[in-house]
Amino acid sequence: MASPTPDFYSLLETLSKYQVDFIIVGGVCGVLHGAPVTTFDLDIVHSRTQENLVRLLSALRELDAYFRGRQDQRLKPKQDHLSSPGHQLLMTRFGPLDLLGTIGTGWSYEDLLEHSDEIKIGKMRLRVLSLEKLIEVKEELGSEKDKAILPILRQTLLEKQKRRGKKK
Amino acid sequence: MRLIKTKPPNPLKQSASIKGVPYSESGVDVTLIRWMLSLTPAERLRVLHQTIRSILRLKGGVSNT
Repeated sequence: MASPTPDFYSLLETLSKYQVDFIIVGGVCGVLHGAPVTTFDLDIVHSRTQENLVRLLSALRELDAYFRGRQDQRLKPKQDHLSSPGHQLLMTRFGPLDLLGTIGTGWSYEDLLEHSDEIKIGKMRLRVLSLEKLIEVKEELGSEKDKAILPILRQTLLEKQKRRGKKK
Repeated sequence: MRLIKTKPPNPLKQSASIKGVPYSESGVDVTLIRWMLSLTPAERLRVLHQTIRSILRLKGGVSNT
């Protein structure tokens, strides 16, 4: 079966509907901050409290989520998977969704909360990682993929600061 | 989903009309960044969605609906 075209709006709408606590990170975070980059998956860091995992699992059921990259089986995520600090790479009816227990050198939802901004899209109030922190995390990771996007993120931050009338 | 009517600037036209190259020292096209910053977060998300659809369409993976 062909993979669905990513529809980040609908993914975010479903997560919001179930009141899941999460922070948008990765490429979509960059785009929301104004970086001209392309990505095919939605990366989020979710709160791993018991209550939030229950809400997240309900949202994932509605999204028909399953682990991607496993050819013949559609293994569905369970609470144990979501409580891990690791990364759960899922396919959903609205495209790929990566649930990250932690990012970088072990940053959790609670750690990142103070480094996030709230934005409004339609009726949704969403939390996105600040551009400064996104750059810091990607610098920490230092993979080729992360290094490739860093000049665009840094330039976007510079342009935003210019707009705010700040000089770095 | 509503289409974004705002179009990205054409860097070639800009470099012809404005003295100086619209690239940062690291080679990033700043005209695209400035265009994205002129949009709201919701519009930026729609641009991303349209970009993905157009790429997949070129690959033959999605219909123009």
